[in-house]
Amino acid sequence: MAKLSLMFENKVVKEVPIGSRPVTIGRSPDNDLPVDNLAVSNYHARVYYEGARLVVEDLDSLNGTFVNDLRVERAMLHDGDSIWIGKHHIKVDATADTAIPWDTGRKAMAPKINETMVLDTKARRDMLQQAAAMGERSQFSPGRLKMPTLVVLNGRVNQKEYVLTNKLTVIGKSPMATIRLRGWFKPQVAAQINQRDDGYYLGTGSKIPFVNGAAIQGPVRLNDGDLIEICGIRLNFIFRE
Amino acid sequence: MQIVSGGVTDVGRVRTNNEDSFRIVEPLNLFILSDGMGGEAHGEIASSLAVETVEKYCSRPEGAKGDSDVTLHGIASDNWSPLTKVLQNAAFQANFNIYQSAQKHPEQRGMGATLTAGWINGDRLSLAHVGDSRAYLLRTGSLQQLTNDHSLVAEQVRRGILTPQQAEESEMQSVLLRALGANPEVEVDVDEISLMPRDVLLFCSDGLTRMVTEPEIAGSLQAETDPHSAAQKLVDLANERGGLDNVTVIVARVQDESKGWFSWLRRDSSKKV
Repeated sequence: MAKLSLMFENKVVKEVPIGSRPVTIGRSPDNDLPVDNLAVSNYHARVYYEGARLVVEDLDSLNGTFVNDLRVERAMLHDGDSIWIGKHHIKVDATADTAIPWDTGRKAMAPKINETMVLDTKARRDMLQQAAAMGERSQFSPGRLKMPTLVVLNGRVNQKEYVLTNKLTVIGKSPMATIRLRGWFKPQVAAQINQRDDGYYLGTGSKIPFVNGAAIQGPVRLNDGDLIEICGIRLNFIFRE
Repeated sequence: MQIVSGGVTDVGRVRTNNEDSFRIVEPLNLFILSDGMGGEAHGEIASSLAVETVEKYCSRPEGAKGDSDVTLHGIASDNWSPLTKVLQNAAFQANFNIYQSAQKHPEQRGMGATLTAGWINGDRLSLAHVGDSRAYLLRTGSLQQLTNDHSLVAEQVRRGILTPQQAEESEMQSVLLRALGANPEVEVDVDEISLMPRDVLLFCSDGLTRMVTEPEIAGSLQAETDPHSAAQKLVDLANERGGLDNVTVIVARVQDESKGWFSWLRRDSSKKV
């Protein structure tokens, strides 16, 4: 049977097993886990079994219930999770329960959010730090800032190299094009590059560009080292440190 | 440049109230879209406050003159249009108005709104953006996103933690990192884009982008040349897919004004109709 341990500054204040009845948490002394702190609502949250799943539910508390740093209204709990209520936290010990596979469990644990919400500044900072700690695989990761660059291998254009700084980069004869093509029969917009969340995407203009020798069907994400051919010019897309 | 535009908003198939607001200010070529949040009717208050404030601010008779001393955030360059500054300040003002209203009325606490606004002057499009509504540009058949979502999942994609596919499946999609009204100050993304004849601009709330894929959006915009019908078609499509959220779409097309060899012929035939 699972148990909950109310902790304050790494000391166990009280432990209770979870049975068929919900465990209530709040400032009022008649709770199963009374938490004596003004930041805690009288009846703040409760933990109970829903079938085989352990669930925490916030009871419309003023300051909220957090599971592993995420504010939740209702969330599934797993062994080792921490429920934060004010400055106290409650450790979830479900070792005796049948193990729930990690992948599916993880997904189900995400709090159910129907309404749009905004993270306050602190929560946002914490979450981003947490996110940063999880991995630095990104092209945009701070520290090693890499500039997306197009190097002209051959063809008639106005520069030898272009650093992509805008959301939108146009390749064409148009005066607003960044990569300005010259020549009588060159199109106004031959192709365009769109900076998106996960990288840079090359899209068609009035011509279809080739990437590494293959004509593109729709917008394609450019990878470091890709070779772009369009209207007789050849460009090398690289991330320059 | 000659612009034709149309917009549609709909409550969707699941929600009971529409928290989205939009406004097209035709004489100014100004397009404003906002998606509100907050319990009860407060999302509606926040989004309509956002839209009204931006319209009022941009319609001031003194125009851009009063805003010349304000510096732009982000990647602004010197040759940017003064309208971009006005639009940014309008967003600051909208943020302040929503925040202040929530401070005055405790029941409105926690309300907020996204803002995606575009203002066309000549061939320049000024953009101001906060939140997870979006602006797109369809040019020569390619749909390009002009704004970055200020959502947790988008930030995780930018940091390489999630793939775009994982972000789409995430249950955290509704968590915003920035919105109007949450804090007394807000960071506003501003940008400028040069427009070309036949460009199509799309402003939409997340009720569209969560239900309809980008290739489908591109297809609808290409198939329907009347902006209002195009917006209506996209809203219908979002509803067919389940309409889980309010959906709002503004479509603005830049007319082709090229004086081609046979343009006199085309003008003639349009007169008859």
